[in-house]
Parts: sequence; C-alpha cells; structure tokens
Amino acid sequence: MSDRSTTQSDDESAEVQYDPNSGRYDIYECTVSDCDNVVLVVGNDDPPMSCHDEPMERVTELDMSVKPPDVRQVLLQAFGLPKAGLDICLCVIGEGPLSANEVAEQLGYDRSTVTRYLNKLVELGLLRRSELNREGGGVVKVYHSVDLERMRRETLIGFYVWAGEAASLIEDANLTKQDYLEANPDQELPDVFWENFNEK
Amino acid sequence: MSVTRRAVLEQLATASDADQRETTTTAALAAMLETNEGTIESHLNGLAACELVRTYPDGRVRITITGEELLALDTDEIVIVDSN
Repeated sequence: MSDRSTTQSDDESAEVQYDPNSGRYDIYECTVSDCDNVVLVVGNDDPPMSCHDEPMERVTELDMSVKPPDVRQVLLQAFGLPKAGLDICLCVIGEGPLSANEVAEQLGYDRSTVTRYLNKLVELGLLRRSELNREGGGVVKVYHSVDLERMRRETLIGFYVWAGEAASLIEDANLTKQDYLEANPDQELPDVFWENFNEK
Repeated sequence: MSVTRRAVLEQLATASDADQRETTTTAALAAMLETNEGTIESHLNGLAACELVRTYPDGRVRITITGEELLALDTDEIVIVDSN
C-alpha cells in the first residue's frame, strides 16, 4: 500500500473523539423525559445551563461517528468563503504589506482573481477596504484585517447561526422521515428522499 | 529573513518623513534593525511596489504619505495594497 493510499485511508477512518472533559465545549441535554432540548456550550458554563428549571445534564457519550471538521470546508459551507479567499489570507498573514500583484504571483492566480476574492472577503466582513492618499494624486486601495476581537465574535456568532440552521435542517429531515414512515408503513424510504428533502 | 516587511516600514517611519521629504539610507535601516542590507533592500522593493516607500537612485529612501496613512490604520495581520 502506498503512502498516499495509507493517508487516504487514515483520513476516511478519522473521526472526532468526543471528550467531554476537554473543556473546549460541552453538550447538555434536558433531563425531563419528553423534552428533547440539547444545547452546545462553548467556553465556560457559568451559570450552568438549565431547562425546565432544572440543571441540564452533560452528554458524555457519542454514539454516531462524526468526521473532524476541516477549517476550509467549514468556512466555505458556513460563510461561502472559497478556498482562494482563505489562501489569500494565509498568504499575507505575517508577510504584509503585500501588493495584489505579489499575492497573485505567489498563489499562481490571475491578478483579477485576487481582486475578485479580496472584494468577496470584504463582502463577508472578514476584511475591510480603505482608500489611502497616493503621493502623486488619487488613491490607493488597501485591504486589511478588521479588529481581531470583532472578527472573532462575528465569525463565532455567524457560525452558530449556520450551525443552528443545520441543526434545524437535520431535525426537520428526521421529523419528515418519521411522518413519511408513519403514513407509509409498508414502504421503504425512497432513495431520493434526502436529495429531494429541501424541496419538500 | 527574520525582520518583517512591516518592521522595516515602521522603522522607516521613524527615520524619515513624507511631508518634509526627509530621507534615510538602506545602510542606516539595516543598522537600526540589526540585519543585513540585502534583507532591507528586498523589503524596500516590496514596499515600493505597494507605493508605501519612495526609493531614490542614490540609495536614499523615505516613507510616503500612503505609507504613513497605512501605519495609522493600526492593522497588522493582513494588509494587501491594490495600487492599480
């Protein structure tokens, strides 16, 4: 087996090892039997999460296999930040100021591609665009980081909104599947169910 | 190349002035930043492409108004200059 195939196999078998004691995040569920409230807590849990006026119970086991997130995929899925946008940010961190031409050369992109993605990063709120006076007259455009604390807060909240939408989608899909199977007890779930779910 | 491009720009801002057209030299910058002139020249070429510094044929160099305004933005992580 080649190194490449070994790596692919490792990637395919990789899964999140959920450690409730890691302190990175916690998952809690309501202890009331007919309540299905499950919450994610990132950071400290002070005061403790509660539901039905009772402290929620920390989830300690994960039955499903969960793949580890890839930061590029997360940024693409949650914010629509394409790989090129992330490449540009990573290329410049600690190296700037760089000219747009230098970025294009280093990444092997067309100059117009760099400008397009810089504007996309501004649209997403990850970069800010300023205009500086040019000595000979006119202006020079500068793309630069927004305040890091603000970016941290905005990306975290933005991701939570996306995660909430994703959780709702999964819940809706499960409920729709349950309704279908109850209404059609003699039929298998059609193969196209998941593909067509969004249109349902 | 342990000295960053930004460090060169910041040092140049203290050693020159855009409004007064005060200049310094590559050698002086290298001495101030305790590095070699080749490193400084490489960074200055990049900064000049961004229109943040002005270099002269006799070896003098100074920050530009654009360079001073960039430093005033007080941002240090990601800076890309699009001067086209």
